Amino acid sequence: MDGTLIGLCAFAAVIGLLALRVPIAFALAGIGTIGTFVIFATRTGAFTPDRAVRPTTSLVFSNSFDLIHSYDLSMIPLFIALGHIAYRADITTRIYDAARVWLAKVPGGVAMASVVGCGGFSAITGSSIACASTMGRICAPEMLRMGYDKGLATASVAAGGTLGSLIPPSVLFIIYGIFTETSISSLFLAGVLPGLLSLAGFLLAIYIWVKSKPSAAPAYQGEITMQDKLNAAIGAWPAVALFGLIVGGIYGGFFTATEAAAICVAAACVIGFAQRKLTWRDLWDSLRETCIQTSSIFLIAAAAKIFVAFIALTGVASDIVTSVSDAQLSPVLLLAAIAVIYLILGMFLDPIGIMVLTLPLMVPLVESYGFNLIWFGVVVVKLLEIGLITPPVGLNVFVISNVVGKAVPIDKIFAGIWRFLAIDVVVLILLMSFPIISLLIPNSL
Amino acid sequence: MLYRIERLLLDLACCAVIALGALITASVLLRVTLNSGIPDTIVMVRELMVVAIVLPLAAATTARAHIVVEFVSNRLPMRAQGMLVIFGGMFGLLALSPLLYAGWNETVHMITSGSYYFGQLNLPKWPGRVLFLIGMSFCWLRLLLLVIGDIRTLRAGGIPALSETTSSTFVEDEKDRA
Repeated sequence: MDGTLIGLCAFAAVIGLLALRVPIAFALAGIGTIGTFVIFATRTGAFTPDRAVRPTTSLVFSNSFDLIHSYDLSMIPLFIALGHIAYRADITTRIYDAARVWLAKVPGGVAMASVVGCGGFSAITGSSIACASTMGRICAPEMLRMGYDKGLATASVAAGGTLGSLIPPSVLFIIYGIFTETSISSLFLAGVLPGLLSLAGFLLAIYIWVKSKPSAAPAYQGEITMQDKLNAAIGAWPAVALFGLIVGGIYGGFFTATEAAAICVAAACVIGFAQRKLTWRDLWDSLRETCIQTSSIFLIAAAAKIFVAFIALTGVASDIVTSVSDAQLSPVLLLAAIAVIYLILGMFLDPIGIMVLTLPLMVPLVESYGFNLIWFGVVVVKLLEIGLITPPVGLNVFVISNVVGKAVPIDKIFAGIWRFLAIDVVVLILLMSFPIISLLIPNSL
Repeated sequence: MLYRIERLLLDLACCAVIALGALITASVLLRVTLNSGIPDTIVMVRELMVVAIVLPLAAATTARAHIVVEFVSNRLPMRAQGMLVIFGGMFGLLALSPLLYAGWNETVHMITSGSYYFGQLNLPKWPGRVLFLIGMSFCWLRLLLLVIGDIRTLRAGGIPALSETTSSTFVEDEKDRA
């Protein structure tokens, strides 16, 4: 049987299993193992299963174990732990509190503060969904209570939550780094400017929304003194310090991304205990949530490694590269096609699932066109972010919908999302057209 | 009983996260202040990663924390969704079986050969493999029990619990039990 045909059948089988609600990890590991077995069993022309057992099990074990048995990847549990600990120690919410005070008099100030809060939360945690879920619980009910337009109150947090993947640290960047063998530190630095650009874009979207329809965000009636503003700003210092430690430490060459993760966890614990915001019980609960979350992420990554190794055996990736090269697609057209594929997949699939499913094919393709893999990583993560708020399965929208319950129908949230989607598309075009936005900081190292 | 073992494995994983964080932090601090380090930090962190990642798999399975795509299945009747949950679990058992078999072979090989990591401490290779096998075995066992439980629920006319995409279930469940 032709390797390419086996590879394409395997992709179809994985997509079919995902549609049948089979967990992503099981679908990838199962099909990857079966496919590897078939490749080894048919290598000599005849079907010899007894010859395939040993190489298949050895390949399956080495791919999954080596991924887990990694020093560099210890940053994933550590960054996830940092997010949980910082939340329980009240470090992340104080960014929102500070932004709320500073932006109180600006039209749509609380919605803007929510987006800034999401940006701040993202600077400490690496997950968009965690960001939307946490900030959604804090910001959306408050905006609804203040009489904000329901669409604005919910869509701003759903969109703001997507910043979690772009602003470092980011679990998606780490997974991208593993599969493309690119520097995770460089990916983190490359995400800073695009993340800030997206944040600024969302603030602009809110400003335009409220300017064109002032009733969407009632003006704040209370009095805010300079002392209030200073107190709020001072209160946010731990978050600023942790973000500074991560980006400054990596950029300054003081430590690697893995070391930054460990040092920030230690710093967050010290700050939390010193400020009496964190208890031992909180710490243990944070670690338990971290372990469960991390193990399910790693199970997917390990399964994807098995699947990627199988795809490499089939040779389907090189066949696709050859076909695309023969078609003589221009780089712009190729990028547009890739963007469309990711946007369509993003409407239905989870970001990690999309990444592990597509990278084995996309990376050889973009490498053959000479694209920079760090820049491509930023583009991919931005595309995945857009998928998080695109109907019908915008995961962040569903997270916010769960938070607000029946108070806001899901259609209303999606109706508010389009303004942010428009901004996202503009930012995406900018990132694709001007790679320097992503590469400026990593190149200046 | 299995629940207690899962909780123990989860708590061991928490200890591993603390330990690897402490090891890395200590080695950075020693490097900066004394231009020194902890011997074989990288090997120890890698072994701790196995504890941190694989041991909580059973607890993650109990919490139904494995990420699924719900777009298509959510449009089906609840009973059909329940059947798909069972199918997903059965496929998981199939997918994890080769890993268990390979893990067993690798563990036996490492113990009998007495392999160790080259370094200052010459740490043995078998503990990581044994822990991998333990974690995977309990995950497989929990998945099997979930599938059996779900089949029973479905046959009794009920609907099996659908997968959760949140990780907090186990922790909240813990609080309820407390």
